[in-house]
Amino acid sequence: MKTPWQIMTGGDWLVVLLLLAVSLAGVGWVATAPEGTRVVVTSGEQVLFTAPIDQPHSVSLDGPLGPTRLVIDDQGARITDSPCPRKTCISMGPARHTGNLLACIPNRILVRIDSPADPEAPYDLLSR
Amino acid sequence: MTCSAVDPLKLTQARRRVFLALFIAIAVSLHILETLLPSPVPWLRLGLANVMTLATLYLYGGRAAWTVSLIRVGVGALLLGRLFSPGFWLAAAGAIVATSAMIIMHRVAGRRLSPIGISAIGSAGHALGQIVAARLLVIQHEAVWQILPLFLLFTVFSGVLTGFFAALLLDELEKHPAFQPSAVSGKKEAAGPLISPGGT
Repeated sequence: MKTPWQIMTGGDWLVVLLLLAVSLAGVGWVATAPEGTRVVVTSGEQVLFTAPIDQPHSVSLDGPLGPTRLVIDDQGARITDSPCPRKTCISMGPARHTGNLLACIPNRILVRIDSPADPEAPYDLLSR
Repeated sequence: MTCSAVDPLKLTQARRRVFLALFIAIAVSLHILETLLPSPVPWLRLGLANVMTLATLYLYGGRAAWTVSLIRVGVGALLLGRLFSPGFWLAAAGAIVATSAMIIMHRVAGRRLSPIGISAIGSAGHALGQIVAARLLVIQHEAVWQILPLFLLFTVFSGVLTGFFAALLLDELEKHPAFQPSAVSGKKEAAGPLISPGGT
């Protein structure tokens, strides 16, 4: 049986290294985003919940399938329970950097971390 | 040997059609198997069904590769009961971008890219297509692009692995009489895709 190294051509290596470089640069860029200050939960166009990220909190969010539980603690915001079939949102782990996203697509819950100048500011300061 | 009386060209064409039907069936099975298998991170899958799309691209050409990947997404979603669900549109967008990218790169690069390189491009295209569909249909927010780098990083590895499987499969299949270059008078798509059965 051949090994991958015997099959791969110079062009293959170029493609693989290029894709690795692009994705690693992207991962680095996302990981170095500053820590966020606020958790915003939306369902479609509607804002369900906002809270500062530095205060431990637990909240139940209602989506079309039922309640999705969101916990905010010292690791950030994470989804601990959801009625969706695949539990992808739970496996996404905690989010705490600006721009991070937790999505429960079946239950239409979108949790986003941002850092407005004033964490207590009302949502309508954000343009959409 | 009953086949001795059969026109060898017709025999080859029949063989090639049977293989293509098998490829589609295997692609659908792999797709469903992978979706149903429990995984620690459900949105990251290996994309084993792409082995069949790749094999088809190399053995039959671009039109047949489209046939395999589109039927795979459609029948797979039908059997899983998620036709026209958000997950279906994401899978369809991923498959469309991946298949276009693989066909174009295969045509442009020819022998300079092995199935491994084509597969890596295809799986990156799959990730990109899914994120674009997610941005348009599901999560109408720019933050969705943040998932792309990690997704892309994973697809480099899954793409190389599935491309490697496809290369091994192609090594075996190219020995079969149905895929001998002389058998179909050098025309790659002569026995062609399912869309135009019967040929000329």
